Parts: sequence; C-alpha cells; structure tokens
Amino acid sequence: MSARIIIKSGGRASWAIRAAAAAAVVALLLWIPTRGSDSLIDTCTTAAMLMAAAMSLNLLLGYTGQISLGHSAFFGIGVYTTAIAVTRWGWSPFVTLPVAFAVAFVVGLLVSLPALRIKGVYLALVTLALGLVFPAFIKWPKIEWLTNGSRGLDQTGFKFSKDNPTYELFGWNPWGNLRGQNVKPFYFWVGVLMVVFVYLVCRGVVKSRVGRSLVAIRDNSTAAAVMGVNLAVTKGIVFGLSAAMCALPGSLSAIRTGTVTPDSALLTVAGSITFLVIMVVGGSGSLWGPVMGAIVYQFIIERTGDWSDPDKIPGAVRPLFSWSDVAPGGGIFAMALILLMFFAPFGIVGLWHKLVAKVVTVVPKPAGTTSLVREETAPAES
Amino acid sequence: MTLLRTQGLTAGYGPLTVLEGIDIEVNEGEIVVMLGANGAGKTTTMRAISGVMPRQGIIEYEGRAIQKASPDAIVRGGIAQVPQGRGTFPELSVADNMRAGAYVRRDSAASVQADLEKWFEVFPRLAERHAQRAGSLSGGEQQMLAIARALMSRPKLLLCDEPSMGLAPLITQELFHVIERLNRDEGLSVLLVEQNANLAMHMASRVYLLETGRIVASGSAAELGADDTIRKAYLGF
Repeated sequence: MSARIIIKSGGRASWAIRAAAAAAVVALLLWIPTRGSDSLIDTCTTAAMLMAAAMSLNLLLGYTGQISLGHSAFFGIGVYTTAIAVTRWGWSPFVTLPVAFAVAFVVGLLVSLPALRIKGVYLALVTLALGLVFPAFIKWPKIEWLTNGSRGLDQTGFKFSKDNPTYELFGWNPWGNLRGQNVKPFYFWVGVLMVVFVYLVCRGVVKSRVGRSLVAIRDNSTAAAVMGVNLAVTKGIVFGLSAAMCALPGSLSAIRTGTVTPDSALLTVAGSITFLVIMVVGGSGSLWGPVMGAIVYQFIIERTGDWSDPDKIPGAVRPLFSWSDVAPGGGIFAMALILLMFFAPFGIVGLWHKLVAKVVTVVPKPAGTTSLVREETAPAES
Repeated sequence: MTLLRTQGLTAGYGPLTVLEGIDIEVNEGEIVVMLGANGAGKTTTMRAISGVMPRQGIIEYEGRAIQKASPDAIVRGGIAQVPQGRGTFPELSVADNMRAGAYVRRDSAASVQADLEKWFEVFPRLAERHAQRAGSLSGGEQQMLAIARALMSRPKLLLCDEPSMGLAPLITQELFHVIERLNRDEGLSVLLVEQNANLAMHMASRVYLLETGRIVASGSAAELGADDTIRKAYLGF
C-alpha cells in the first residue's frame, strides 16, 4: 500500500468527488423514470419507501440506541390515516401526508413515555406489543365503521382522469402525471421527494447539537445527563419524529396501491423486522446506510421473485436454491445479513468505509479551523 | 465565600439509603477532597449534587436552593461533573465530545469554538487527537477529555468522581497537576472524591472523610494527617 491517495477534508479534491457523486445520483434519478422499464420504476419506488422507513428507524436505533419493533404500526398509521381521510372524508391524498406525519408524531410521543424508563430487551418487547396490536386494533369491531375491519379499504389513491394536468417541460416529461397511463414516474418522484425530506430531517438532527446529544445518550446516558442533556425531552421528540417519518412511506403506500388491508406485510410485525434488517444491512448509525440497505434488499427480492420455479434460476446457483418452493429472496437477504455481521458489522456503508480507507487517506481539518474567532485573531498573529 | 453547601443531604437507591445526612461546604477557589472507601457514598454524593438521582435535604449553590433543580438547570448554573469511569462518548470524536460538553450553552458557535481552542491549548494531547474517536484514546487521555468536556460548560464548580480510577500513578499525578492548575489559573472550585488519599490530600484545601454515608471527620489536610487515629484508620499511611 505505497501509492495511497491523500485527500484533504474540505479541500478541492474532496469537493470534486462530492460534486461528481451528486451529479451521478441526479443522472440516475432522471434516467430511471424516463428510460427505465415500468418494473424498474416500481422497484425503485418501493425501495424509496423502504429507505424512508428504515431511515426513520435508524434515527431512533442507530443514533439513540432505542430499539423499536413497532415501526410497522407507525407505517400503518400512515397507511390508515391516508386511506380513511381519502375514502371517508374525500380528502386529496397529498393533504393527508402532513396529517399522517402529525398523527404518528403524537402516537410516537405517547409510546416514548414508557420508553423513557426502559431500554434494551424490555423496550423491544413494549414496541413489539405495539406492532402486534396495530393490525388487531384496525380489525376491532368497534371501529369497523371507520377502518372497514379486515376487509380493508378501496380507492385510497388518486382518481385518474384525462383532465388531470401534466407537468411537461418543453415537451419532456420525466415526472409522469395522474391521467392513468404514465403514473409510475409520478409515484417515483413522490418517493424520491419523501426520501430527500426524511434524509434532510435526519441529517439536520444528527449533525446538530441535538445529534451529538443523541449519540451521547446512546454511548453513556449518565454522562449525557450530567452534561445537561434533558434525556426525557430529547428521547421523546426523537421518538415522535422517527414515528412521524415512518408514517410518510405508509401514506405513499396507500396512495400508490389504492387498496389497504390490515394484514398486508409491512403493517404487521414482519414490516418492523424488514425495516430493522434493511437498516442493519445498510449500516446503522450512518445516514446513507438505510439507503444502501433498501436498494440491495428490494433488488434481491425483485431479482429472485420468480425463483420459486427452478427453471428460472440461473444455472450457477440453481443447485443452491432449486429445493425451495417459494422465492428465496428473503432467505438470500438473511444469509447476506449473517455474512455481513461477520465481515462488516457496520453494514454496507461500514464495509465501503473500510475498503476506501485501504487506498485513501482523508486528512481531517486541523483543530479549530473554519471558526470565526480564528479568522479574527489571525491578522494579530502575523 | 461559600459556593456549595449541603445540609442533611440524603439519597439512596430504592429502599437502600446510601447517604445518611451529609453536610459539606465548598468555598470559592477551594479544592475540597472527599475521601472514602468503596461503598462509602462518594459517587452517590456527586450524583445527588448533579441532580441525576432523587435526593432529600438541602443543597445550596451560590445561596440558592438547588435540591429540586433538574440536571440541565444545575449544569447551566455552573456545576459540571466528570463522571466516574470517565464516561466519554466513544463513538464521538474528541472535538465532538467537547462540543457535547457545551450542550447547555446558548451563546454563539464561535464562542464555543473559542473555548474549544483554549482547552486544546491546555490539553495538547487532545488537540493532536481531536478528530479521533474518543474510544481510541488511552485511559489517561480519556480522563483528560472528560475534564475538558466538563470545562466546556464554563463551570464554576467542577465535581470530579475518582479521576485516578484505573490510571497509573504517574498519570494520576499529571492529572492532579492539571486540576491544581485549573484551580489556580482559572479560579475553578473543585470537589473531588477519591480513594487515593495520598495524592489527593496534597492539593486539598480541605478534606472530608466519608464512611458508610456519613461524614466522620473533616479539616485541613494537615489537621487530618496529624491525627494518628484518623491517619491509621482511614488514610492508610
């Protein structure tokens, strides 16, 4: 390892790399809805929803160390807030997004009350109960007039019509529209916007003074308390925010599929586990971890979706999976999880950092640069 | 002038009472050392003053009763604690650990940054390692970091909970020199609890002896050192 690449943090090379990465992401985002197949757009939209859900969980578990197995319930709150508001009260689907956000925030705050006193396994159990109760609550006969019980609700999305506007830019239309034929890119962009929003909220929280206090709580809550961090308020707000952000992909799911039932996969505890596994595989405690995890997860699921038929499995791996009667996507992902925990306990993002560190040295900024004070005192020194 | 005064301070964990009425005083500019064996209630005293556990009795700071105040209000008032076993945040960088110490401050980021640079001058080893994870520091460096972090809240009174724990005698000595210097140059008052009587008594303005939740003796280091029974029973030299 003699030929190491040395990059100064905040230097020109570092900015060039960032700009190139940003350009690549934007190009990819434009390529998918305009050139990609319908099924690719669908896959990416689903991945975006899983990203948002896993990111919201990451804010809670990755940064404050509070485990939640109840995020499927917050996802479900998003699903049902939208579904009920659209079908029962005739709201426009988009208006329901901030409402779902608010409802889930309040529920999250309430759930955080017991979470303030317990941690670890006990908190996992309390939130697991929430995840288990949610589908049962939706099916509760006394609120069937609202939720329609286990039959679920229909027509929870947009009403397509030829009269809906399009959003062309000089004849070029990467956005899709709501007229019925070109609707997939539209959902894709809603998903992307949602991920960007959730990312910015997480980033805003994590990179701030509050973010430091979150890691402080996770690492040593007593030391954080004697530093003056108000544990109760901080934990409560983060729990609420996390729940609220998990409701957004739920809302989009209701809008996109147009029907909701209380037993669909992501509304049950299986959904919580999915979010958790995506987060861990991607890399918990890192902002990009859930993004990577969701992409890998969804592509494995899609790619292996028809492997229940042995003839569809590529020859090289056929002996490995041909015994299975069902699509082995979940199993493959589970194996990937086990391997990753062994070789890269910090997930895909951690693995990436490890590999990059082998060839690149990032020189951190010297202590106390970029401060106003230093600039003020600099002339006096020279 | 009295900075901190407790009267009949009691505290415990559930049904177990650890402190059975502690009366201590820290005057401005003093280094007060509280000595005691394991289980005497040293850490509990610290935690009770910091407000992170339930407590009864009177705690007065700058003439105001603070026994009902929340931990963040107490930090804001100017009491910072260096918790036992260092309690640095291993996943945060050294600099971010120190910024976390400034959590309660409401002044500008620039003045927090100025303080950061000031303490980096006092603790050059921390400056060298400012971007490293705190978990990668040695025990002595972590203890320095815990002190520097506490200083970031601009305290008037520093509570040090067994800073010598798990450190080599030489490092402990260096650490105590730093505390003495902070006391002399910055006018910082210090309440320090220790098992290491020998070293701690050298720099103490006054000493309290704590045994099973009670103060059993107090006075200047010289006075306690001169009393043969106390010296043999509690100080071990």
